[in-house]
Amino acid sequence: MLESELHDLSDDADYAASQQQGSASMMLRSDSIKQNSPRDGAEVVFTKENVAIHPTQFASERISGRLKLIKQSSALFMTWIPYKGHSTEARLSDNERNLYTIRAVPFTEIRSIRRHTPALGWQYIIVVLSSGLAYPPLYFYSGGVKEFLATIKQHVLLVRSEEDANVFLVNDFQNTLQRTLSSLELPRAVPLACGPSNMSVDESILNENQERADNDVNNGSSSVTHFHGRPRQKVDPARDISIQVLEKFSLVTKFARETTSQLFRENQINGFSERRTPIQTNIDHPRRSSHVEEKTSDESCLALDSQEFDNLSLVWGKPRQPPLGSEEWIIFLDSEGRVTDSEALRKRVFYGGLDHELRNEVWGLLLGYYPYDSTYAEREFLKSIKKSEYENIKNQWQSISSAQAKRFTKFRERKGLIEKDVVRTDRSLPFYEGDDNPNVNILRDILLTYSFYNFDLGYCQGMSDLLSPILFVMDDESEAFWCFVALMERLGPNFNRDQNGMHSQLFALSKLVELLDSPLHNYFKQRDCLNYFFCFRWILIQFKREFEYEKTMRLWEVLWTHYPSEHLHLYLCVAILKRYRGKIVGEGMDFDTLLKFINELSGHIDLDATLRDAEALCICAGENGAARIPPGTPPSLPIDDGSVYAQQDEIL
Amino acid sequence: MSYAYLFKYIIIGDTGVGKSCLLLQFTDKRFQPVHDLTIGVEFGARMITIDNKPIKLQIWDTAGQESFRSITRSYYRGAAGALLVYDITRRETFNHLASWLEDARQHANANMTIMLIGNKCDLAHRRAVSTEEGEQFAKEHGLIFMEASAKTAQNVEEAFIKTAATIYKKIQDGVFDVSNESYGIKVGYGGIPGPSGGRDGPSAAAGGCCS
Repeated sequence: MLESELHDLSDDADYAASQQQGSASMMLRSDSIKQNSPRDGAEVVFTKENVAIHPTQFASERISGRLKLIKQSSALFMTWIPYKGHSTEARLSDNERNLYTIRAVPFTEIRSIRRHTPALGWQYIIVVLSSGLAYPPLYFYSGGVKEFLATIKQHVLLVRSEEDANVFLVNDFQNTLQRTLSSLELPRAVPLACGPSNMSVDESILNENQERADNDVNNGSSSVTHFHGRPRQKVDPARDISIQVLEKFSLVTKFARETTSQLFRENQINGFSERRTPIQTNIDHPRRSSHVEEKTSDESCLALDSQEFDNLSLVWGKPRQPPLGSEEWIIFLDSEGRVTDSEALRKRVFYGGLDHELRNEVWGLLLGYYPYDSTYAEREFLKSIKKSEYENIKNQWQSISSAQAKRFTKFRERKGLIEKDVVRTDRSLPFYEGDDNPNVNILRDILLTYSFYNFDLGYCQGMSDLLSPILFVMDDESEAFWCFVALMERLGPNFNRDQNGMHSQLFALSKLVELLDSPLHNYFKQRDCLNYFFCFRWILIQFKREFEYEKTMRLWEVLWTHYPSEHLHLYLCVAILKRYRGKIVGEGMDFDTLLKFINELSGHIDLDATLRDAEALCICAGENGAARIPPGTPPSLPIDDGSVYAQQDEIL
Repeated sequence: MSYAYLFKYIIIGDTGVGKSCLLLQFTDKRFQPVHDLTIGVEFGARMITIDNKPIKLQIWDTAGQESFRSITRSYYRGAAGALLVYDITRRETFNHLASWLEDARQHANANMTIMLIGNKCDLAHRRAVSTEEGEQFAKEHGLIFMEASAKTAQNVEEAFIKTAATIYKKIQDGVFDVSNESYGIKVGYGGIPGPSGGRDGPSAAAGGCCS
């Protein structure tokens, strides 16, 4: 990578210089201002050398770098770029280095900064984002935390937390209304995903400045056409940024795992559970920053306390995008119709869903019926092959004579059950309404054919709910059948006679609530509600009965991306329960009342807000969350080679 | 609206016997042949009057398919009454009564009042189970019995109310400790406090207005 080579030179020299200069960074700072401000309207207002992170628990394995504050227009940004090539970091790959790099995070996105002054060792800070997530501690090997904070204070509103003198809240308005408005405006102020074009420009300028500053300091000559190795040719700059943000999240988890597991164990031994606060019913508390910092610093994501997530759900600002439309869809395809970057597609669908007219084309891909790398022609071919295959299977039951059926109880029972159920499935929709509706008959034929295709599983109630939108979207019997088959590869265990698929998901859900909302978990425990049967319908048919039809289709395509987790639906459950925890606990709901309450939430759940909460919870729970979900839990594919974990890696 | 007592009912029986239709006929007085099949459980509620006392029935309508039995069992907890429904036009739904009853006996409290309902009696021409067989089964198992039609509303009101009257009588006879909610009975305003002395008292009436 060209850029890396350049960095090699500049950073080595930088590093050497900084070694000699020690804390003389203020000089560099003024230099930077002089060099940059007249040119671009962006200025570096603070630079600090020898700011390091400790990716492992050994200080000797630190990654050192340069911390900067950059001002552009009225916005303040923070960057931290690791040096390249120093001996202590020899074992780090470029990838790792890139992973840890903090590129121009705007202060509108930062909630607070916590300062730590250990009795032994170096002073460090922890920067907590509005999302509730934190960067790993930044150790100031050459001092300068005070100047850092003082500089910030000159440019953005920085106030000391009332609860903890070492916590500095960024843009924390005392007035509740202002505070609420501020957090509401975050998505617009932080053009992470909603304003791709703006972000792209700002980011490039900032990165350019970064490059220039680096090179100028060393009198190096270079072009400024590269941006820290991030490919720019992609159509959706917001996507790149999202990737970067996600990298950070994974970084937090990685960091948490590597550096704090020991601490965590110690804490456990020392009875850290006592530190947990008692049941807290006030979910409307907008911020409780000190809790967040305390946790991120001490236990990070390992011992997630519910308060963090309350805050998270309220300040989480990652906005949903408009659905993917035809024009944008074309960009994901090569000239022959292959999806060139399936992960990018999945991510795009995750954040916005699909325009309805695209569903017919994209659902088959999301469900795994069509391979992403298939061409238009290959898909057409597959379609025709599969059509005749479908007809063959269908013929198996169609050819059963009435005389044979008389001696085939199982068949008669299944057929009877399916016939009873298809006339009780979404009949209020125009697509299925009225007497002798042909689509109802197709629904029946597909289900009966499926019960022959998968004779062991057969038919179970709930399947018609899953099939209905698929048939509505595919509007073709064979295509709907095969998409349904693909879905059932994952959700089939929901309908096992012994309900083991459901039980494993309900179990995983209880584990996730335990992790993400211990007061609620304790409440359910105390009320003997840990079987989570009140979430049964949610899980069995993927929230189909909780949302109107269009919203259900939106949710499904989002879930089918398996981004950022195969089990996002479980985090969705957690998100909804969390949202109503105050009411559940406050009213002292018992199992019956709770079941009724949850049932009656149907039609009253805000899908977008819940998805955002679920995403935040999923990302923050990270590997700890994934670890609570036993391998093979639907909709994971059945375990055959332990590839469940590979899936995780692929995601992050 | 305040109530003297709140009874929890559960409706059980094979899929497609008309459980949801019976509930809808009772709570909304209408027959809706086109409705979504029940996944998990649905709820209904209605006030009735017995012995001049307002009684609220909170009714749980369950999914009938065999696969969901393990979930359905958790709904029995704290039910004061059960409507066990079969379809008089489908013999197999009658044949399965014993297994439903076994579930109920095992997972509900012993004093739960069970009403056996032979539904769809409007379809007499397709009858597959005679009234006598239904009566016989009820008698053998100590159940109250009625044939009803959710479509014509015949005996629907009666079935729910007769069950409630039976429960009410059990309270009068002191069979239940009504202060113990595991019997599926909550005491509201004007109800007779249990032997242990009306824990909820009149104040519970406030909770009575929300279904």
